[in-house]
Amino acid sequence: MSSDRLQDLLQRVTRRDRQAFAELYDATSAKLYGTVLRILKERGRTDDVVQEVYVTIWQKAGQFDDGRASAIAWMASIARHAAIDELRRRPRAPHESDDVLDQTPSDAPGAREHAERDENARRLHACLAELEGNRRDMVRLAYLDGWSRADLAAHFEQPVNTVKTWLHRALKQLKGCLAS
Amino acid sequence: MTDHDDIDMLAAEFVLGTLGADERAEIQRRRRADPELDGRILEWERRLAPLGDDIAAVAPGPDLLARIERRIEALDATPVTGEREGKVSQLDAMRRRLRFWRWSTGLASAAALVLAAVLIVPVEPGPSESPFVAVFQQDDQQPAFMLSVDLDSRRLNVRPVTAEPLPDRAYQLWIKDASLGPNPRSVGVLNDDLSLPADALSDFDPELLKRATFGISIEPPGGSPTGQPSGPAIHGYLYPTGQDASAQRL
Repeated sequence: MSSDRLQDLLQRVTRRDRQAFAELYDATSAKLYGTVLRILKERGRTDDVVQEVYVTIWQKAGQFDDGRASAIAWMASIARHAAIDELRRRPRAPHESDDVLDQTPSDAPGAREHAERDENARRLHACLAELEGNRRDMVRLAYLDGWSRADLAAHFEQPVNTVKTWLHRALKQLKGCLAS
Repeated sequence: MTDHDDIDMLAAEFVLGTLGADERAEIQRRRRADPELDGRILEWERRLAPLGDDIAAVAPGPDLLARIERRIEALDATPVTGEREGKVSQLDAMRRRLRFWRWSTGLASAAALVLAAVLIVPVEPGPSESPFVAVFQQDDQQPAFMLSVDLDSRRLNVRPVTAEPLPDRAYQLWIKDASLGPNPRSVGVLNDDLSLPADALSDFDPELLKRATFGISIEPPGGSPTGQPSGPAIHGYLYPTGQDASAQRL
């Protein structure tokens, strides 16, 4: 569904249009559900969080500002933060996250192809490719899988403060690369 | 490192998701009053958003939309402050919100199914918004606790009415709202004299407080060990206010 179409649906949702809300759900729920499930790894918790995410979208559609984000980016951001908040409140048992790197599905080729068409995505992936391997993995594990500093520290066998330093360097390098 | 660098890295790590629960809650609170932080968060959201293109879409179960719609119906039926509504519809709305509390906490913990739930209602419906009062009642007797909240100052006052301190047990106050996630969040464990610090709700928006539901559960000393209501509960009763007010059981 086009970005304009999603934006139009969000507009109608601000007027309490339930039909528009159902269409918005149909168009976006697989993406949002996938985002939350990848972080929480458990369908029961994902159901609960995605439910609250759509309630938030229903309540806050009026706060969406198309000058600041695309409709899908705004919704995905609500979903990702809700999932991470839930994970921080009730972390997975340690053994569950041990080999998550192996379980984590690799990039979906279809999604990647789509992303490649987008200039911003192309640039971000180019800049990520310039990061040192470990740091690139850290950024991806944090953003996509919801890993905390402590999770990263355990996996990479580094003190938490070292992880923090690496993350900050990686983020600054990305920012500089994207601005160049 | 300058302050701007610090703020930028805080925003970046918030978006990346690596911060702990307390830091995240603090940033979410702070960004509402700090346009620079908010702007930097949005910049980082934009920078990193394409990472999300790599996530595989997964279809939710077929009944999730219906669940969401039920929640929305319940929320939309709740009275909007400032609008005068009939007492009956207000009570219906509150009953729906109570069902939401019970149903939703039941997902997290079966013990929470009997958790008390009460709603903050205006003492005098009308233009004046504060204070708001919630009543917690035990069995079919007198109210156990009253909670009043001054929304302007976000100060609360918990008063035991018939509730008594319990040996080797503590009372814990919970708040629940969609914006806080699917589970109740602890407001605090009541002191030995059954009070709570007046600023226990100061981190919450007045708007959130108005629509939130509250519950009191009985927990081990020091509060629930699980972070969720775990003990037996005080049943919630709502007292409508106004001339023909009579106690209504939810």
